[in-house]
This record gives sequence, structure tokens and C-alpha cells, in this order.
Amino acid sequence: MSATVPAPSAAAAAPRAAGEGRALALASAVFGMALVFAQDVVPAWTGFHTWQYAAALALATLAVAGYAWGARTGADGDFGTRVFVAAIGAVVVMCAGIASGLLGPDTETVVRAPGTVAPLPDVGAAGFFPVADPGALVRGDAHILIRRRDGSSLEVGPGERRFVGATALETTAQIAAYVEARDAAGRRLTITQPANSAFLSPVLLFPQRVTVAGRELPADAFATPALHRQIKAFYFSKDAAASTQHGLGGKEAVLLAVDDDAGRLEPGGIGFVTSGADAPIGGVRFHVAIGTYPALVVSAVPFPPALWLGGALVLAGLAYTLLVPRPRRSITAADA
Amino acid sequence: MPRQTSGLLVALIALVAIAYTVKLYFGAGGPPASRLGGGGPAMLAGAPAQSYPTRTLRGGTDGLDRYRGHVVFVNLWASWCAPCRSETPALESLYRDDAARGLVVLGIDQGESAEAAGAFAKEMHLSYPILLDEDQQYGRAYAAVGLPTSLIVDATGHIVRGIDGEMSLAQMHEAVDPLLRTHS
Repeated sequence: MSATVPAPSAAAAAPRAAGEGRALALASAVFGMALVFAQDVVPAWTGFHTWQYAAALALATLAVAGYAWGARTGADGDFGTRVFVAAIGAVVVMCAGIASGLLGPDTETVVRAPGTVAPLPDVGAAGFFPVADPGALVRGDAHILIRRRDGSSLEVGPGERRFVGATALETTAQIAAYVEARDAAGRRLTITQPANSAFLSPVLLFPQRVTVAGRELPADAFATPALHRQIKAFYFSKDAAASTQHGLGGKEAVLLAVDDDAGRLEPGGIGFVTSGADAPIGGVRFHVAIGTYPALVVSAVPFPPALWLGGALVLAGLAYTLLVPRPRRSITAADA
Repeated sequence: MPRQTSGLLVALIALVAIAYTVKLYFGAGGPPASRLGGGGPAMLAGAPAQSYPTRTLRGGTDGLDRYRGHVVFVNLWASWCAPCRSETPALESLYRDDAARGLVVLGIDQGESAEAAGAFAKEMHLSYPILLDEDQQYGRAYAAVGLPTSLIVDATGHIVRGIDGEMSLAQMHEAVDPLLRTHS
């Protein structure tokens, strides 16, 4: 046998290797692009900003880019040459995902008192948290207004998601209670929250978690300076309220503990107030409306133009590969 | 592994490493303080002044936006607040001195009923308009970190200065005089 004739096993191995490379590239492209598009579906997931996510995408990108490099030079025959554009598109999409995951800011939940403004430097905008009266809290339908530097604005409501550049904005409802306090003569009292970012706010947002009698409860604190009272507030959900022996009737409630300025508990200074009801506790008459108020969740997403470009290349490449007929080769004497 | 693929692998790993380093470097400081709240009324300079329809001591409804075209000295106060009590005579003097030059002094009571605010206004002989902000909307919008809180609003409705704490009459004049000179 002549040495120039390839061994049958090697000749068969080449197309098999090309086929395996193609399958690996295809699987990697589908897997990688699914990961990237997932950022637009569940942008708040913190896993997008981990090294594991970046490594998985980098490996998928490598597999597709390696295949595309070989395909460009004909390593996978006619199919490889035709699918090259789609492979480049997939690489663009996955690179956008890597950039967003690594360079984009971590997901942040911006909590603000009603009527305040939060700067959003990563978005080039400011978030205007709406004024909320007790009715708005109970309905839980407040919208956050986003005003950009260029003067344009948009609203983010409950269950909505808005995209601003490479950022996704959505809201999450958090427990809130609007507190009114009156003295013995029925005169309304100023509510202050010295420990919170909004000093003059009658809306409690319960930012702390405190364990009371083996149960973890959202907690907050406020004061009525006119009467020199410091008040701690603990939120009881319907389930938590139902499990107490205080006749709350399974209604949401707030447990209030009223201290004087020196931190001594006032006589009769502990009691529950259910939503919409009045209760005298520690010499102050409280009225509480319990509901929800939105917090703004700011998440990085892949740069949209990169996704559009990559997606368009993938679609165009696949259309060319699958729909455009291959040119017929004429049979020549040499072929015969 | 083919040489081109090795080159791609090295380039990609380098890219990821550089990007991760950049993220760690710029992300290490955490969010800026202003994003965590606080900062006080001073940070509002240059911002449009928010206005809310609010009950007045005289029984009507009023809001800051009604005074567009005037220089407005907004003062957030409450009757239980000792520095507010101490500052109020100076505010009344400022109003009497500069009302003719176009200055409006607007006192906005925070969270109290009309009886408490009215008794205070009567005791202090206040002649400038008083709003009863029972929901404390102005206090939140103007990032008050205590009482009294004052804001100087120009004729275009923008905040020029936000001041936390008690001011003397001289400090009040110093804050509004340049605007009144421009205004007149």
C-alpha cells in the first residue's frame, strides 16, 4: 500500500470530530444565549454577578468562538462556512452577558420614605417616591417616577419592569404602616423617625428584623416629641396575628411599645393596633393603616444594542444556513 | 488544541480577569452615602421645590407653588420644637422687614393639629402665612433631618439653599438679600 493513502480510521475520524465540534458549539450557543437572555427575564438574580456565571459564559463563548474560527476556514465544510455569521452573533450576545455580569453594578434595592427622592447615578436618573396617604398604602398601588437627566420620565408600578439603557427597574412591595398619633385631647402629634433616613415621616417601613418570643418580626421605631415618647413598632402579619392570644381576629396588626425619653416603659405602654383601628397605648392614641409601599430594584442587564446586534446576526446566519438553497455543483469528468 | 483556539482561550481569560478586577476596584467602596439616605436639606440646592396642596391655619388651602415669582423663605417647624420657638421672632422680623421687597415667609407646621399650631402662632404674634402639613409631606420632600429646617426658594421655584437648624435674623437676611436684590 502506498504511504500517501490515508488510513481508513483517520479518514472517518475527521468528519466525526467536526460533527462533535458542531454539536458542542451549538449546545454552548444555546446554553450561553439562554443565560444572557435570562438576565432580562429575572434581572434581580444576584447569581448574574458571580464569577461562576462569568466562567460558564466564558467557556460557552470559547466553544462557539473556537468552532467559528475553524468553520471560517472550512473545517466543518459547507455547513460551517454558512453558519459562521450565526456563531459570531452568539459570541456577541454572550460577550454582552459577560460584560453586564462583571462590569454592571450589583442588584440594589432602593428603599425610600414616601415623598423623597433617590439619586440613581448608574441610571443617570432620580427616583421620585410618591407621597402616600393611608389609602394608597392599603391599596399598594403607588408608582415610582423615574426622571432622567435629559428630562424624560417613566413610571414603574407594581409588577412592572422598565428598561433604561443597560438597567432594569422594577418594584418590590414592602410592608408599610402609616401612623397617626394624638394626645389625650385628640390633637394630632408630629411623628419623627430620628434613626431613619426620613426624619419627618409618619410611614414606617420596618427595615429591621427582631426576634420576639421565638418569632422574627419586622421592626421599626418612631417618636412623638411633643409628648416625649419613644415608640418601638413590630409588624404582625395575618398569620402571626392569628397565632397570638390577643383577639386580633387574624387581622394585620402592629405591636407598639411606648417608652418615655429615658427609655422607661409608660404605664399601659404595650398594645396592639390593627389596621384601620384606634388604640390608646401609653397615653397616646394611635391609628395605624397597614399596607405596602414600593421599593425600587435596580439591576444591570446586557447592553441592549449588543443584544439586538447579536440576535440579528444569529437570526440572519440561521436563515442563510437553513433557508437559502446550496448552489448545486456540476458533475465534472474528474468527479466521475 | 489548535494554536488559534489556545490564543482565543488566553484572550478570553485575560478579558474576564481584567473585567473582574475593574469591577472589584470600582465596586469596593459601596453605594454613595446619598443613596443610603441622609444628606439633609443642603443637598437640595438647585432642585425644583416640591409643592403640595395643604390646609392653612385660616381654613383654606395653599401650597408653595402659589408663590412662584416671589423669593420664598420656607420654614418647617412644630410647636414642641424649642429651637423653632427661639427662631420664630427672627422670622417674623424678616417678614416685616422684607415683605415690601417681595419676600414671602411661609411657615409649614409639621404634623400637628390646627389647635396646636394656632396657639403657637397666636402666642408668637405671627403674621406670615402658616400651612398645616399634617402628613409631613414637605418635611420628607425637603429631606429634613431635624426641626427647624429652612429653605430659600427663588422666583423660578428652585431651591437656592437648604438649612438645617436655627438661624439668626442676620443669617436670614444674608441668605435672602442677594436674591431680593436680583428680584427687584
